[in-house]
Amino acid sequence: MKTGVQTYTVTLLKRKWLSKKTFEIFLSLPPAFTFKPGQRISLILDGHERDYSIVSAPQESELTLCIRMVTGGKLSALLSVADIGISISFNGPCGYFTYKPSSRPAVFVATGTGIAPFCSMARSGISGFTILHGVGLSDDLYYASQLRQSARKYIPCLSGSKELPANAFPGKVTQYLERHLTPGAYDFYLCGLSKMIRDVTHLIDVRFPESLVYTELFY
Amino acid sequence: MKIYTGTGDRGKTSLFSGERLFKNNARIDAYGDIDELNSILGALTAHFSDEKALIEEMRQIQSDLMQLSAWLATTPDSALIESLAEISTEQIAFLEKAIDRLQKGLPVLKGFILPGGHITAAWAHVARTVCRRSERKVLPLLNNLPEGKAAEQYRKSLVYLNRLSDYLFVLARHCNHIHGISDKLWKR
Repeated sequence: MKTGVQTYTVTLLKRKWLSKKTFEIFLSLPPAFTFKPGQRISLILDGHERDYSIVSAPQESELTLCIRMVTGGKLSALLSVADIGISISFNGPCGYFTYKPSSRPAVFVATGTGIAPFCSMARSGISGFTILHGVGLSDDLYYASQLRQSARKYIPCLSGSKELPANAFPGKVTQYLERHLTPGAYDFYLCGLSKMIRDVTHLIDVRFPESLVYTELFY
Repeated sequence: MKIYTGTGDRGKTSLFSGERLFKNNARIDAYGDIDELNSILGALTAHFSDEKALIEEMRQIQSDLMQLSAWLATTPDSALIESLAEISTEQIAFLEKAIDRLQKGLPVLKGFILPGGHITAAWAHVARTVCRRSERKVLPLLNNLPEGKAAEQYRKSLVYLNRLSDYLFVLARHCNHIHGISDKLWKR
């Protein structure tokens, strides 16, 4: 496959907290760096390396990543307190989780920060998709307003909250797909943790077998 | 990085182009054999110690096989074929040059030989037979395939695999030769 992975050194420009455990970092954009919405980069800091999907669109002037503090996660902890202005390296762009236009309706399914590649797609002008964002609490529905603008249907799925925002589904993304998505052939794009990807893929095999499935595993 | 998702636990797998297929589908079977061939080349390479040129050559072939697999893992009508690097005539010429180079120092072949000898020769023969099997698995994928980029690349893959089988045969003989082992002829 054609790849153009290179190493770049950039500056940490800004950090913005989106919820208690999730924040965005903004990096300077190297002049020669190009990527497709949905691709990721491998961030390197103090000997720690981890892949992050890009949130921003290729035409934007900064590179934005969405990072969740994970228990025992060394890089996320470092990035949560790193001084603004420091240099950070990354390898990229990597991955093939990009939007493929087709005659079938696109259904994007994300859990947590797995929403990142879909944000990049929406910010790049891709529209008309159905998108499900599975989170525990409504605080983690970052990017809701951005996604609503591009989506045909935006469905927040809240599995751990009693207070539901407007149009939210009380349950997991799999439950929504099982109960509310009309049987048919779709292009599914799944991004999140392995359990969601496994459960949704099995559901697709049974309920939407003529569909295509593209996945990006977060771990 | 966690490599398991369990999405294949019920016998299906995903193509690069997104289709969900049963794992005994002809397409999966074909790139599965190329994966097997690639792994055998890895085992063979692990037995090379001072043969730096051969190790380099083997790495190139392993990369080429990954490229062939990507074509087989993408359905011909998918737009994703545009993201695949095309198999070039240079890659086939690379094998032909290598065959010519390896063959130069070898004694003239006077009959069928029994696969075996040095461990590296034995692995090269195993690789050759799996390469031939891969060829047989790719061939039916060309049936009813409309003319286009994919059909052209499948035909190039067949040429590549045919040439690679020849290369592996000569490589097996070369491996015996450099270790002072004579190929054993088949005596009827």
